[in-house]
Amino acid sequence: MKKTRIFAIVMAMAMLMSCLFAGSAFAADALKIGATGPLTGDASSYGISVNQGANLAVEEINAAGGVNGYELEFNMIDDKAAAADATTGFGQLMDWGMQASLGSVTSGSCEAFGQQAAQYHVFFLTPSASAASVIATGDTAFRVCFGDPDQGTLAAQELTSRFEKIGCIYDTSDTYSAGIYAAFDEEMKNLGVEYQTFTFDQDNKKSFSAQVEALKDCQVIFCPFYYTEASLVAKECSSSGHGDILLFGCDGFDGLAPLLDDTVTNPIEYITPFDVESTDEKTAAFVANYTEKYGAAPDQFAADGYDCIYTIAALLEAAGVEDTSIDFASLADILVAQITADDFSYDGVTGTMTWDASGASTKIPVIVILN
Amino acid sequence: MAEMTTKKNRFQNGKWKNYISYIVIIIFLAILIIINLTKGLGFSDKSTLPRIAFSCILAVSLNLVVGFLGELSLGHAGFMCVGAYLGCYTANVLRTSGNIPELVTIILSMLVAGVVAAVFGFIIGLPALRLKGDYLAIATLAFGEIVRCIFKNLPFFGGAMGMSTKLYDGNTLFIIAFITLLFVVFCCQNLINSKHGRAVVAIRDNEIAAKAMGINVTYYKLLIFMVAAFFAGMAGVLYGATIGTIRQETFSYNYSIEILVMVVLGGMGSINGSLIAAAVITWLNITLQSQLSGALAPVKSIVYALILIIIVVFSNAPAMKGFRESINPRNWRKKTEDAGKIKNDAAAWDRIPTKIRMDDPLSVDTRTTYADSPVPPDVVVKNRDELYVKEETGKEEE
Amino acid sequence: MAIAINGLSLGAIYALIALGYTMVYGIAKMLNFAHGDVIMVGAYIIYTMCTFTWNLGSMPIWLSSLISFVVAVAVCTILGIVIEKVAYKPLRGASPLAALITAIGVSYLLQGIAQLIWGADQRTISILDRLGTVSLGDVVIKWSAIITVVVGAIIMVCLVLFIKRTRTGRAMLAVSEDKGAAQMMGVNVNAIVSTTFAIGSGLATFASLFYLPITSVSPTLGAMPGIKAFAAAVIGGIGSIPGAMLGGVLLGVVEVVCNSISAVASYTTAIEFALLIIILLVRPIGLLGKKRRVKV
Repeated sequence: MKKTRIFAIVMAMAMLMSCLFAGSAFAADALKIGATGPLTGDASSYGISVNQGANLAVEEINAAGGVNGYELEFNMIDDKAAAADATTGFGQLMDWGMQASLGSVTSGSCEAFGQQAAQYHVFFLTPSASAASVIATGDTAFRVCFGDPDQGTLAAQELTSRFEKIGCIYDTSDTYSAGIYAAFDEEMKNLGVEYQTFTFDQDNKKSFSAQVEALKDCQVIFCPFYYTEASLVAKECSSSGHGDILLFGCDGFDGLAPLLDDTVTNPIEYITPFDVESTDEKTAAFVANYTEKYGAAPDQFAADGYDCIYTIAALLEAAGVEDTSIDFASLADILVAQITADDFSYDGVTGTMTWDASGASTKIPVIVILN
Repeated sequence: MAEMTTKKNRFQNGKWKNYISYIVIIIFLAILIIINLTKGLGFSDKSTLPRIAFSCILAVSLNLVVGFLGELSLGHAGFMCVGAYLGCYTANVLRTSGNIPELVTIILSMLVAGVVAAVFGFIIGLPALRLKGDYLAIATLAFGEIVRCIFKNLPFFGGAMGMSTKLYDGNTLFIIAFITLLFVVFCCQNLINSKHGRAVVAIRDNEIAAKAMGINVTYYKLLIFMVAAFFAGMAGVLYGATIGTIRQETFSYNYSIEILVMVVLGGMGSINGSLIAAAVITWLNITLQSQLSGALAPVKSIVYALILIIIVVFSNAPAMKGFRESINPRNWRKKTEDAGKIKNDAAAWDRIPTKIRMDDPLSVDTRTTYADSPVPPDVVVKNRDELYVKEETGKEEE
Repeated sequence: MAIAINGLSLGAIYALIALGYTMVYGIAKMLNFAHGDVIMVGAYIIYTMCTFTWNLGSMPIWLSSLISFVVAVAVCTILGIVIEKVAYKPLRGASPLAALITAIGVSYLLQGIAQLIWGADQRTISILDRLGTVSLGDVVIKWSAIITVVVGAIIMVCLVLFIKRTRTGRAMLAVSEDKGAAQMMGVNVNAIVSTTFAIGSGLATFASLFYLPITSVSPTLGAMPGIKAFAAAVIGGIGSIPGAMLGGVLLGVVEVVCNSISAVASYTTAIEFALLIIILLVRPIGLLGKKRRVKV
């Protein structure tokens, strides 16, 4: 062990040095946009999608001559979907010279990110952190995705109008899932409809045989969670002979299609702002470019990341920000004033969005039917 | 070996090792305060430094259990979880109840967190009286997961959404964190150097013998678990003040394992080692995080894993012993008698617990490389004696 | 009934993984934390080979699946041996904790490499679940669950026979009892340790195959079942092969039953681990563990 300690002392010295010389340097040639997201670990597919979507948008903008004559630069730091890493990631991005931000990809880390951003007054527009607590962290917090409660309420109304036997499975350990479920449950109680609920959590989300078996008599199972687990529920339903139950999901279902093979027979519907099959000109171009660059069709996370960058670019243009050496706090004031302005709206691949001072975006959801 | 002890002069034998950590931490803190006052710390330093401090607290407190008591615990993050939730809840209540100064708030919440975590430490200390080794390891791991699962289902603490608490001002938080660390190191060193500490080490080295000598094993095991849990609870409050969001999935068994890695790399039973290893590993993680961003992120876990494996193999492998000693600065000045010559597998095999003691001629016969070894036989025998002495005093026997 | 079969099949998977833990522990006296990640690698190999051979289209699906599985078993067996030689063998004779840390390192390493090669996206593939279901009266049971339980049971019996009846098996017993004595009796201890790792990793591939119908493939696939299987091995008494089987089945059934009761479903993990602690408090050496006398 002695040798380790000597090695360690050297490292400690190096650490002290890095503390001494870490300074905040601002490059003047590009406006820097930072974000943290899970690039490794369980949730990494979401972070990687946002990163790719955002990078594609940055490349397109820069290729088209930039914003007001300058370029954008984007950097995403890995936070493994952990709050602590989002906090240190925020600090590292600030040292890198971040002026505006996309926040974090997942709700838990974005809440930590948002608290830091509020402390230093940094503008962020999160692509996918949908928990209500995220935009409550400060005045500079905005999001492009739907809020969790809205989706839960909408789903409850939709399902009760169409079905009688309703089941629900949700993830008790996930902010997104628990958030939607809370609103769903409240709305169902308001409507006076009985339904069955089963749960899972991050430690046993690999096997759904018990939950599906218990809900086999339902006409529809409401699944407020991400597509990774949804694919398992769909497979479990089909392979255990319940292939006729409708699976109804939220925007997390987007990206489900590539995970399903010919054995899955269940009808699947979900609420989403983004439809990869859409014939809309802008969306079709985005899907084509993304597929060409990354070899796979974009999911909703990628679309959200793409829209975030374009929204920030539109804000910069509309507010006439000319100087890239502007500091983050003054830029935040300008961007907040612009995004909440009555006449500002952005028409992106996930729909036409407007924002209010709370940070929530307003856009129209569509229900996609997956065949 | 006996010769070595008599040769130790006062400096080597003295207590300087107990003070060096205070001195280093205080100097480090002073430099940081000066930098912060003159040119300002970087943004990342303001969250990295408290993170290093609470990692050090966790590693030192776990070292009490693993290094000094000799019980493998994989549930340390569970205590931190309890402390973080309860402490930050207290802080939130205190903040709404009136204008109590922030410093008092954080100290009070640390106290509450520590006490509640210590109660949990008592609870998990009870199975420790009955279980040994890997059985205790999985029991503590199970305890950590149970705690997490319960907090996940308590709507009182926000359930799956987690709990928010106010961020502490970045310019003073690292000072508080390092002063807390000094307090923890002070407590641990005094505990270990007291008669209680010697009793704990006696339990580690041989529980039955310690019991026979009249040491109250139950009392000391529970004491160490409670003290370690107390400090972990305090670290939980610092975590809350640094990060602002407390969510149960942070405190999974992976986090406990990360703390254990710090303790093992720093050296079991070495407080200074734990401090250095915790600081270096935390710093390494954060640096890798910022250096390998974007598409390079998967490389990060590979680099970290390789560093971990290389360090452990280098510093522990019996076959590397000769190499380790040849580059150890402590051996540069005195000419060693080729202590590293025994470096084939046989030396390693001798230390594997065996009921039949291999007597000398037999084990010399199994050593094939002696024929072409340039070492004269008498030196070999001398080294073998040394090997046996080490084996008997080594603490790793089952 | 369906719940019981599902529980048994999950239990059989845990038991197969737990066997790897328990055998390695019995022989090398170390916790192989990277064992769960061998399952992940196995699942990825099966996935890659199946998609590759199915796209060729020249073979019937069952044949190409079988070939893929055999390749996966071979790769994992070699991987197990390589891990042992590179990461654990140099540390023999050092503190068991050092080996534990390298095991964790190997686990991170495998996850990182898997993400580099296959990316972070979750993937699913249907192999055993193509067989559909069987109806017994009004109970519908999946063929994949039945196969898992049956094959799992056969493997256990074979393994017990292998250890009791063959030379290699008895050499394993001897090594786990006393390494020094076994070596003096002419047992090649290095070869036996490698064989143990090979068998453990090979069995892990069976676990991957049976796990695929209910899960998706991702770099972190192995982490949680690894821990659950570790718990199963301890419940049964670590080092005991029938114990690992018993512990695995117990844990699998408890998990599925808890998940199917709405009121306690969100406490499933807590209940499983509380069961573990209670069993250990009543029998500190696990259900079928061997008691060892400790001398001063």
